[in-house]
Amino acid sequence: MTYDTVVIGAGLAGLTAALRLAEEGRQVILVAKGVGSTHLAPATIDVLAVDDKSPAEALSKLPSEHPYARLPVEVVAASIEWFKARVAGYRGGLHENFLLPTAVGAVKPSAVVPESMAGGDLRGGGRFVFVGLGLKDFYPAYLAENLDQLADVSARGIELTLSHEGSLDLARRFEQADLREVIARQLNAQLEPDERVGFPAVLGLRHAAEVWRDLEERLERPVFEVATLPPSLPGMRLYEAMSEPLRKAGGRVIIGPTVVAAETSNGRVEGVVVEQAARSTTLRARSFMLATGGFASGGLQLDSRGRIRETVFDLPVAGAPDRPRFLPTYLEEQPLDRVGVAVDEQFRPTDVDGNPRYENLYAAGATLAGAAPWREGSGNGLSVATGYAAATILEGAQ
Amino acid sequence: MASLETEVLVIGGGSTGAGVVRDAAMRGFKTVLVERKDLADGTTGRFHGLLHSGGRYAVRDPEAAKECIEENLILRRTAADCIEDTGGLFVSTPWDDPAFGDTFLEGCRATGVPVEEISVAEALQREPRLHPGISRAFTVPDASIDAWKLVWGCARSAQEHGAEMLIYHRVVRLERSDGRVSGALVRDELTGRELRIHADVVVNAAGAWAGQIAELAGCRVNVLPGKGIMIAMNHRLVNTVINRCKMPADGDILVPIRTVSVIGTTDTRVADPDDLEITEAEVEEMLDEGEKLVPGFREARALRAWAGARPLFAPEEVADTREVSRSHALVDHRERDGVEGLVTITGGKTTTFRLMAEAAMDAACEQLGVDRPCRTAEEPLPGSEAREFYTLGSRVRAREPVPQLQEIICECELITRERLEEAMEWRHTPNLDDIRRTLRLGMGPCQGGFCIYRATGILHSVERLDHLAANESLLSFLQERWKGVHPILYGDQLRQARLDDWIFQGLLGVQRLPT
Amino acid sequence: MTELVRDSLDHCVKCTICETFCPFSQVTPLFPGPKYVGPQAERYRGAGLSPDVSVDYCSGCGICTQVCPQGVKIAEINSQARAQLWEDRGIPLRNQLIARPSVLGRLGTPVAPLANWALQNRAVRLLAHRLGGIHYKAPMPKFAGHTFQRWAKRHRSTVSRRKVVYFHGCGTNYYEPGVGEMVVAVLEHNGFHVRIPPQDCCGLPLQSNGNFPAARKYLRRLIGKLAPYAHDGWPIVANSTSCGLMLKREAREILEVEGEDLEAVSAATHDICEFLLGLHERGELRTDFRSLPLTVPYHAPCQQRGHEIGKPALDLLALIPDLRVIELDADCCGIAGTYGLKKEKYSISMAVGERLFRDVYESGANVVACDSETCRWQIEHGTDVHAVHPVELLYRAYGLDAPVAVSAG
Repeated sequence: MTYDTVVIGAGLAGLTAALRLAEEGRQVILVAKGVGSTHLAPATIDVLAVDDKSPAEALSKLPSEHPYARLPVEVVAASIEWFKARVAGYRGGLHENFLLPTAVGAVKPSAVVPESMAGGDLRGGGRFVFVGLGLKDFYPAYLAENLDQLADVSARGIELTLSHEGSLDLARRFEQADLREVIARQLNAQLEPDERVGFPAVLGLRHAAEVWRDLEERLERPVFEVATLPPSLPGMRLYEAMSEPLRKAGGRVIIGPTVVAAETSNGRVEGVVVEQAARSTTLRARSFMLATGGFASGGLQLDSRGRIRETVFDLPVAGAPDRPRFLPTYLEEQPLDRVGVAVDEQFRPTDVDGNPRYENLYAAGATLAGAAPWREGSGNGLSVATGYAAATILEGAQ
Repeated sequence: MASLETEVLVIGGGSTGAGVVRDAAMRGFKTVLVERKDLADGTTGRFHGLLHSGGRYAVRDPEAAKECIEENLILRRTAADCIEDTGGLFVSTPWDDPAFGDTFLEGCRATGVPVEEISVAEALQREPRLHPGISRAFTVPDASIDAWKLVWGCARSAQEHGAEMLIYHRVVRLERSDGRVSGALVRDELTGRELRIHADVVVNAAGAWAGQIAELAGCRVNVLPGKGIMIAMNHRLVNTVINRCKMPADGDILVPIRTVSVIGTTDTRVADPDDLEITEAEVEEMLDEGEKLVPGFREARALRAWAGARPLFAPEEVADTREVSRSHALVDHRERDGVEGLVTITGGKTTTFRLMAEAAMDAACEQLGVDRPCRTAEEPLPGSEAREFYTLGSRVRAREPVPQLQEIICECELITRERLEEAMEWRHTPNLDDIRRTLRLGMGPCQGGFCIYRATGILHSVERLDHLAANESLLSFLQERWKGVHPILYGDQLRQARLDDWIFQGLLGVQRLPT
Repeated sequence: MTELVRDSLDHCVKCTICETFCPFSQVTPLFPGPKYVGPQAERYRGAGLSPDVSVDYCSGCGICTQVCPQGVKIAEINSQARAQLWEDRGIPLRNQLIARPSVLGRLGTPVAPLANWALQNRAVRLLAHRLGGIHYKAPMPKFAGHTFQRWAKRHRSTVSRRKVVYFHGCGTNYYEPGVGEMVVAVLEHNGFHVRIPPQDCCGLPLQSNGNFPAARKYLRRLIGKLAPYAHDGWPIVANSTSCGLMLKREAREILEVEGEDLEAVSAATHDICEFLLGLHERGELRTDFRSLPLTVPYHAPCQQRGHEIGKPALDLLALIPDLRVIELDADCCGIAGTYGLKKEKYSISMAVGERLFRDVYESGANVVACDSETCRWQIEHGTDVHAVHPVELLYRAYGLDAPVAVSAG
């Protein structure tokens, strides 16, 4: 059968694009080698944090090679509104970043955050207590000591060793009221009246909203989650919150097979070749959305001889540095950081001369050249904005 | 200024120094070792891990070959827990002259290195990834040896015999009185405090830095540091040490050690043993040579690259030294320079470290006018009493039958919280890199991506570090790790680095930590 | 271990996505999870005796491999490690026995009433539990009393130029011959001549119980039967998703069997639903379906997902008027072939299946669809809801059941 659109990649960019198209009644199939970066990232929608204050202002100052520069700020804002209307419980916008504590106690700006994290906002200062649960991925004393250095912030850590479980097991146990009751009882005996309480982000999975509200009620104060090492429970919730409506809107999601090549003719992509158990098959569609991500997810590969390859369509790669690819100082921006697929105004990957390589191929997310998401704090924001925008353009073109 | 008295002062905490301090302590001397960094932080901790059978030197350097096989057999008895009995193969690849195999066989037989030619089919069955075009194959008793375990085993044994280990103590000057060396002034690199150590005899075991130490006594020891680079590959591409059957050259050894395979090495003269940059050309050479041993080598995942400084001793300039062999050098400064109380032992290789220590202490005894026999060839190291070789599966086996995941902090190297805390308490250090050398923390595929945050949090609590010290520990580990990773970032290791970037810079925001 | 599989551990970035999906490590501490026993522990294997036994608690469901975004063949690594474990330690008699369905089938079929009585008899089951290590509550299918092969020998298939070979597997042969008859009927209804060569076990249960040499023997024999057809261009259809996957991929990737015959058979093998949907996509499937006013939850078994063909059953069932299909998103029923039969693993298996059982139960449906026979037996065991192969629904919607009584399960 022929689909309207094949979306390749199950990260936030792919999910956004697929959901947007499916909601418009398009026949969409999303195919991905595995689940994507949602499960690894903290699920905050970081739009841009080069300037800690206002993402909107920072957006307007980006160089023209940046993928955001393809989009008016209003479109980025619309994508965020679209996202917030679909995934329940997100707060914030482009006006001003939240400042959230990280698990080491650094301060991280994020534009739009899950409500279960918003209570950790450090902008107004205040008194914070961080609660460890015997989890190997969370160290409240260390975190608190770093935060305690901030003006207007006082922070301390408490270790409640309840069990020796991993974050996933804990999240499931939090969905049962008895654990929450035990924790609330122990904490209420130790908390000062105006202290807010931060937990590692393990407060439930399927019923997380309920878990969080219940803890706030039991502790009678703001309760918040602090993102920590993968697996990211907030990210898993986000994946569910996006993939479920996608399925309900008639979208197909196939996780497992690898898209290895494309069939093209006359400047169009006719189909993508998908590897199955014993053979490969071709998924045909009127248009295609590439959302395979960058080097981290295998959308781009660098081989031992220094060749960089886009792995599905073998697209030209922009921003590849001459030697050296890496500098000796870790925290410096690395020459390879902004490598990716260059796109035209319509988010279609371009040749070196700037013309679209295929008229019906679009790209979104971390595949795009020009951004360094983890450095500039644009991780999920870029995925939502470009996934949304590229899908909107694609939809208009059909 | 604080001072202390000792009979023997050993300078250098590599395998040689650790061997000497153990040897001296076991001979009943009051002994102190000083090392400017951590034990096995220098050349010893940066080699490929090959316990030579002697095969590599059988043709070019028969003396060295004889020493190697003798010491190999001694270490199998005394340091079994540090050794994995992998066995070794010498193979003639399509790039090597098969006729050299005959020269090799003769050399081995002449030097006492047990050798046997096996069929190509048998070699390929034993090591299926080997280049299928090999024309000859020989077995030798090569093995792999964990240098950190070895050095710490010697150190612990020395301590049990009363020796004192002063790490992070740099020699500022050698004290001289009446034409003799009478000790050293050392500085604690962590606190800046100075300490005067009076000693009857000083053994300079500073390896590639031995020339710098001898100079402090006005003696010239001509040590030319030779840089060798190595690359650890993510898993065991082979389970036997593989050598090319030819005259020794660059990139012709592949050593399976612990969970990785190490390819090495190069040999470049450098001016400063502390300045060992890895060039792209060197990495390329290793990968090309790796391809000749194991086709597909370039597609396999590289974990980390590093360089060590070999101490290359140039004997021609020190004509009147008592040269024990071409493989290592003993300089008795009383005899050669008229400077009493100083002995230098340098050159050599980890395989022969024990012999070098014995030679150095024999010379020291002679200077002291005492006769106490060496016992290191008989007495096993702590941990090796059972004389059982280390096996690859041991860390997995120790976690069975029900591995407690929440307790495993470093997942690649399977280090539990309990072991980590123990090591932190024992090492009592603010430096995670010291813990890395002690337990191999963060040495696996993710290079600390998942465990270093955890280890920092635990270190913060165990050592009661303040937040700045903990931040410093975290950031310097990340920088140190990057140093080893960035020369080989391609393929899967680049993917890993990107995920690690996400974790440290995206999720944790370490770049925003106060320092 | 195959280099292909072992080398895939290089792709692991420790992201733990596999662990978040593993249905087994979530319910038991005895299985430390796919990342741990897979790419992590694998670096410690290969020199000397197998160091770990916890890998035996991997069920081989393969979900980890499917969700891994980096392409690590986690389940395959585990499978091979398990085989090494049992090679080093010797395979327990029980595992030898339950891994030979065709031997059991040949023994049980002639004495079906007695065998079925014994399988339902509490005293016998308790004895088997204690002495044989087979959990007394574990779902055991009933012998049909006659084999599908016997039916096939007497059956004259439609003469047609469109030909297909049917690989029915042991489940159909000894326990569910009715399903086989329906597969044949549906194919013939679509104008196919169906050839059913004599066939034995594919070796899958032996593989999952770690006996690779015996598994290869069975597999090669089966390949020998099917290869001549494959070389002649006949498509092969299978209704057992796990046995079909053995032919498609596991033979090569896990058992390391190679050769032209296997290649031809692999390339020709189709899951029955995949095959029928393929027909439909080419406009060759008859769509003369009558109304089937039912609500049917559908569970795609793990091994079905391993085919990486999506869920063709959903598209096919969508063609049936008035049939409402609910796609269940629980990952696994817990049985994993013979895993859930074992005394020490039964409760793990049931805990894994709990979510699926609940979803089936809460759907209120009287019938549930699922492609794999052992999963159907497990679902029936866990829910008391009748479980059918999707083909049965097609069969009924085609009206093919008019003269024949439906039998299954």
